[in-house]
Formats: sequence, structure tokens, C-alpha cells
Amino acid sequence: MPSEPLPPNPNREFILSALRQNTRLDSRALDAYRPISLRFPSDPDTYGQTDVRIGKTRVLCSISCDVGAPYPDRKFDGVFSITCELGPMGSPSWEIGRQDQTEIVLSRLLEKTVRRSGALDTESLCIVAGQKCFHLRADLHILDNDGNLLDTATLALVAALLHFKRPDVSVEGEEITVYDVREREPVKLTLTHTPFIITTSFYPSQHRSDHDLIAVLDTTLEEEQCRSGSLAISLNRHGEVCNLAKYGSCGLEGLSVLTAVNMALDKAKMFDRLVKERLDEDEKMRAEVFGRKGVDLSAENERVMERPVG
Amino acid sequence: MPLDTSTYALAHLRLDGRRWNELRHLHAQISTQASSDGSSYLEQGNTKILCTVSGPQEQRRNAPGGRQQQAGAGSDTEAQIVVEMNLAAFSSTDRKKRARSDKRVQEMQFTIAEAFRGTLFTNLYPHSTITITLHVLSQDGSLLTACLNAATLALVDAGIPMSDYVSAVTVASAPSSDQSLDEVDPLLDLNGLEEQELPFMTVGTTAAGTGEGVEGEAKIMVLVMETKVQMGRLEAMLSVGVDGCRRVRGLLDDVVRTQGRRVMENKIS
Repeated sequence: MPSEPLPPNPNREFILSALRQNTRLDSRALDAYRPISLRFPSDPDTYGQTDVRIGKTRVLCSISCDVGAPYPDRKFDGVFSITCELGPMGSPSWEIGRQDQTEIVLSRLLEKTVRRSGALDTESLCIVAGQKCFHLRADLHILDNDGNLLDTATLALVAALLHFKRPDVSVEGEEITVYDVREREPVKLTLTHTPFIITTSFYPSQHRSDHDLIAVLDTTLEEEQCRSGSLAISLNRHGEVCNLAKYGSCGLEGLSVLTAVNMALDKAKMFDRLVKERLDEDEKMRAEVFGRKGVDLSAENERVMERPVG
Repeated sequence: MPLDTSTYALAHLRLDGRRWNELRHLHAQISTQASSDGSSYLEQGNTKILCTVSGPQEQRRNAPGGRQQQAGAGSDTEAQIVVEMNLAAFSSTDRKKRARSDKRVQEMQFTIAEAFRGTLFTNLYPHSTITITLHVLSQDGSLLTACLNAATLALVDAGIPMSDYVSAVTVASAPSSDQSLDEVDPLLDLNGLEEQELPFMTVGTTAAGTGEGVEGEAKIMVLVMETKVQMGRLEAMLSVGVDGCRRVRGLLDDVVRTQGRRVMENKIS
């Protein structure tokens, strides 16, 4: 199938006129997200895999690492690559091997948001400068596309990076020992900040006019196909905007951009809280069920004080 | 850092002697190639772009299926806009032959196509393709900006009906690490060195939409920012950018009118 079939005109008109009356097909508010589900693997030895669902859109992210040589012009940095392939599982119009426009936009925005903004501290992946470093690889699989791929994919990627633990390493002179997961506890990655992408879609409020565009968050696939433009804002909870990308043929006013960024900040804080909650739950679950203490390890012995000292 | 030099602190002059709100020297010509439907040559400082437009022509049947989605909506109701960018190997300081499938270039092509999809009256030419080819001869910062400006001129030269020019400019925010520069204004129109050091955004606007011409509220057609900036600085950057775009639009308009006058004089004499 060469391209996704566009919704028929009656559907399109219905969605647009509903938006002009402040309603959506699933009765959500214009700035409300669909139910978000973020799950980590239940296997105790697997770190760095996430299964994220926003509504029906589903993305799976898996992080793996290997030891290799760094780039010759970046001797002190590790290597971090993000692969995102759109396959027929996500949508019947996607074919593996043929670069769709959606894929280019998705992979570029993920790269810019997570890699170029320095969210992952690549210097911490270096083992021996110029010789050995960690090659971190993030693979994203879109399992189902029901709109708002950018937000879902970034959430999956960032949550996976926060969850992932790389093998511990010790360097003695020229000898490097990479410890297995069973020998030493693996180490978390260092993230300098956690960026999220919030996509705002714009719709014309009157027939054939750019007057007063309606801003909508978290669009479903059908809503996305009717929009006249979108603005992808990447920011973290501190309000640092890492990336702005406007697509589509509508003209925005400066004020609309600033309003969209303010709305995005609230959502970024929401995402941040959600990720932290799920990570904490996962830690507790692993500690209880599998007896892994993780961060709670301490070097102190258990002492029983019979008499106060001194 | 370009701003750390003593000249900026004392005289508020950048490395090339400009103040914060001064544009680089913009020189442009249209109708440079007689063989294409529309052509232009634009120099913004040391960034030099040659642009040719062909179209609207019969739809390219051999274009791969993926291209159909490149400029959005179905081609049976509007013309398809295809943008091709060629970065010459000698365009930057180090000679670098760019691969065709460079994602950065593809993304820029997509951004340019989307920007013009909003201003060109593509609904007048269903089942056709408008091809914009950009040849980058020299890069010194503000690449996307210069491409958009050059493409606007070439499209005007080709006579394709549009609602207004798309004029673009880059704006940088003052470095956030330096406290003493907290009140510094955003910098307009960056060169290559400044682009590498400072966080910046590319803004492209049209003045159309309300039918009030240049005096009406400008509409932002292109907004690209790839570096980290504090939220609070965005407002200042956007307003400086939109104002800069208005000035660039004036310059582009002058170029078109000069050419028009020349054509009229030739016809009369």
C-alpha cells in the first residue's frame, strides 16, 4: 500500500466542526492525553526495555550495549545510536527499507532531542580514552500507530535510558575487566536531563482561514490526518527547550508558539512524574520479588546496640 | 565564544563588526538562468545559494512512492512540491562529499516543501509537480534561511501564484552561562562561527493571511530550533526574528521590483 488512506470528507468535516465546538470524538479535553501505560520487563536480569502505550499507539524500546572503539575524532565519548524502523506492524502503509517521510521526521527529532541536546552523558560511557568505550544502542519498534508517535517514542526512549543498567567495568593499567551481571551489580546511565516531546496540532477555526488556530494535544491518527499543522516541542521539566520543529502549511502567530510552549511545560512535568513513579515501583518490585536491593546497598554492618557507647 | 571578545563588552560589536540587530549583506538576483522557469542567486554574507524552479509540470511518475507523502495531501487536488538540495563538496571549510541520503538534508528539504505548501496556490495546478532545486555553493551559517529566501525569489521569477513571500532569518539567544550578559539582546542573522557556539533558531514568516499586507500580523511558516534554550528567552528571540524577517522581505521585494523595472525598460526601448 503506497500511502495511508486519508479519512473521507464527511469524517474530516465532522472532526473539524466538533473541534470548533471544543469537543473531540472520545470526549477528551483539547489538552488531555489518552491513558498512558508505561511498563518495564518482569525479567530480573533485563534492564532498559519499555513498552509504552498512549491510547492505542504502542512503542517498544530496547537498549543494549557492547564494548567497542570510540570514534577517532571523539576519543573521550562513547557511542550512542538510535534506530527507529517503521514496519508493517505499526501501519499497513509502512514498508521496511523504504524511507517514509514519517520515519525521517521521527528519527531526526529523536536524535536531536536525546542525542544532540546532551541528555545522555556520553563521556560516562568512555572506558579507556581513544581505545575502548561502550557502544549504546537504542532500538525502537512501533507496534501500533494511532497518532502522536513522537510523544510516545520519546517517552519510551527516555524511560528505557533511565531504566537501563550497563555492566560494571574496572580498569587496571591497560587491562579492562567487564563484569557480568551476576558478578557485580550493573550501573545506571548518567542522564543530565530528561527531555520529552509534546506535539501540538493546529486546526483552522473557521472555514478556509488561518484566523485563531485551535491547538490540540495528543491527536489520534484520524485527527492527525485532518490537521493543518503541528509544532513538536522538546523540553525537560526545568523549562529548557531543546528542540522546536514546526511542520505543516498553516501559519502560526508568535503568541500561539509561546502558549504552546507553556502548555508543553505542564505536560513535560507530568511525564517526568509518571516516569519517576513507574521507575520507583519497578525498583520496589524487583527488591521484593527478586531480592535485589539495588540502590539500598550499604556497607554498614547490622549492629545491635545493647548499651549506649561512652 | 564570539561574544566573549572584549570588543563585544566594550562596543557591542560582533566578530564581523555588526551590532546585535544588523543583517549581513544580502545580495540577490533573479532570472539568472534563462533555461529554467524560475531562477535566483542569493548571497547572505558568505552563504551563497543558487536556486532553480521548474514547474508546474506533469507529475513525475518515476518518483518513488515515498515522495508522494513528501508534500502531504493527495496530488489529485493540489500540485506536489518537490525540493532537492545539493550541497557542493567545496561549500564548507573542509571538502566533504555528502551522501544523497543524508537525513539532515532530507529534513531540510521537507521543511522547505512544507513552508511553500502553505503559501503557493497549489490547488490551481492539480496533478502537477513544482520542483525546487537548490545548489549550495558556500556555507557560512543560516543555511536553511538562505535556501528559503532563494527559493522564494525563484518561485516569484517562475510566476507561480503565491499569497506572499516566505522570508527567513536566524536568531540566537545570548549565552545563558554568563550572568553579566543576562540583559543582552538576541543576535540576528548568524554566521557560521556564531551558529556553532550559540543556541539559535531559524524563523520564516509570511505577512499574508489577513490580507492586510506587510502591516498585518506576520504568520510564522517555519520554526526550527535544534539547541537548548531557556523558555523565558523564546519571546524575545521570536519577536526579534519576526522583525528581522520583515526587513528581509523588504530586501527581497526590492530585488523583484528592480528586475521588473529592468524588464519593462527593455520592452519599452
